[in-house]
Amino acid sequence: MISVANAAAEVHAKPEGMPQFEPSMFEHQIFWSVISFLILLYLLNKHVMPAIKELLDVRAKKIEDDLASAQKARREAEKIQADLNNKLISSHKVASDVCEQARVEASLLRERAVEELSLELEKKKKAAVEDIEIAKKKALAEVQAVVVDVAVMATEKLIAKNVTKESASAMVDEALNEIKDSKTSLH
Amino acid sequence: MTLISSALASEAASTVVERKMDPLHHFQVHKIWDMSVFGVDISVSNSVVWMWIAVAVAFFFFYYSITGAKRIPGRMQSLAELGYLFIYDMMVGIIGKDEVPKFFPYVFTIFYFILFCNLLGLIPGSFTPTSQIIVTGTFAAIIVGISFLYGFYRNGIHYLKFFVPSGVPVLLLPLIIPIEIISFLARPVSLSVRLFANMTAGHTMLAVMFFYVVTLPIYGSWLPFGFSVVFTGVEIFIGFIQAYIFTILTCVYINDAIHLH
Amino acid sequence: MDNSAAALIGMGLAAIGFAGSGIGLGTLFGKAIEAIARQPGAEAQVSKYIWIGMAFVEAIALYGLVVVFIIMGKG
Repeated sequence: MISVANAAAEVHAKPEGMPQFEPSMFEHQIFWSVISFLILLYLLNKHVMPAIKELLDVRAKKIEDDLASAQKARREAEKIQADLNNKLISSHKVASDVCEQARVEASLLRERAVEELSLELEKKKKAAVEDIEIAKKKALAEVQAVVVDVAVMATEKLIAKNVTKESASAMVDEALNEIKDSKTSLH
Repeated sequence: MTLISSALASEAASTVVERKMDPLHHFQVHKIWDMSVFGVDISVSNSVVWMWIAVAVAFFFFYYSITGAKRIPGRMQSLAELGYLFIYDMMVGIIGKDEVPKFFPYVFTIFYFILFCNLLGLIPGSFTPTSQIIVTGTFAAIIVGISFLYGFYRNGIHYLKFFVPSGVPVLLLPLIIPIEIISFLARPVSLSVRLFANMTAGHTMLAVMFFYVVTLPIYGSWLPFGFSVVFTGVEIFIGFIQAYIFTILTCVYINDAIHLH
Repeated sequence: MDNSAAALIGMGLAAIGFAGSGIGLGTLFGKAIEAIARQPGAEAQVSKYIWIGMAFVEAIALYGLVVVFIIMGKG
């Protein structure tokens, strides 16, 4: 506080004011600030600004080029992917065609096999029926022969013996048994 | 600051002399080399010397940052490119991309000139040319002059419409036009006073703190000392911000000259 | 009244002008923080304008300071 009072006293004793408002110092400062400004303007404009501008331009161009090439590479990759996709799709198609064909062939084969089988079965059935027919005829013929034999034998017996009522029926039974036997032997 | 040395010197010389606080002492311009050509005073003073130093530092900072420039930038090169793009993007934001190349050199130069003047002024013992109102006034006059002349060059006599806001009733025009003209004339004044006052105030504050650092006893002097350390950091920030404000207003004025409102 | 006394009073009165700058700074930062609180995404842009606005507001106070210095010279 004492020093502040002293300073105020000094100011009172020797008024100075701001050195900045001293008019005798104006002229050379105006002159030199204009000159300094122009010198700095010249130096920076000549040596610094174009160099920095070029640097920045070169870098911008490089980044642009890099971006363009990256874009190009990306496009190529996309193209390759599309090609691969197409190939995949076509191979899928080929595979499904092959499958379809195989299925068709298989069904054809099956049909043919079924047809052949049924034909054969038909043939076998026919043969069996014929066999049965033949066997039937043969059996019938045998039965006829047996019946004839029985009749012959019965007649022989009738003729050979003196026939009573009991003996006659016994003879018939005998004959019938014989027929029965022959019949069972037939089957 | 020269204030410290003068305060210390007066203390060393004799204790009889009262220590005085003169925070404006280091704004005094001393002519080092007195000369004039054709009646024009072109003396070299401490202010002029520090202007040259600012020019040299600004130029060599950029020049050495970009010599041997590589595609993958080093630290200094990144800084230089950042400084370039900072101004460029600011101008594109305000003026628009088409008109930037015409004005870019001026704006770039004015920004780095003022920035290096401000920052170099914080070195103890240095001088701050931007704390001289006549220097900032010259810069402001250059800028406003460029924008005014370009406005006429581009728009011809229509540029005078700039002083007649659209959509104002005719009756109000006699009132509005002088206001517009005065506000136009106030532009260089406010530009220059803002920069000069900021620099002066900051350095005066530092000078006052330094005065207390050397005059207070040791148990009290650490307080102003610590404050002065912190305030030097603030001054660096203010030096940057003021250069930025000066440049941004420059761009706004140029934009006004190009696109009449 | 003594000239120097009047100058001292004038310097003190000129410092009142700093109050306006203080009000301006308070409004500026208050509104800016409000804006950021409402829309945190716009923080970068808002803070850019804070610093520009701060420089303008502070300049007003410094005009007062310049007046103080001028009076100091006249006293």
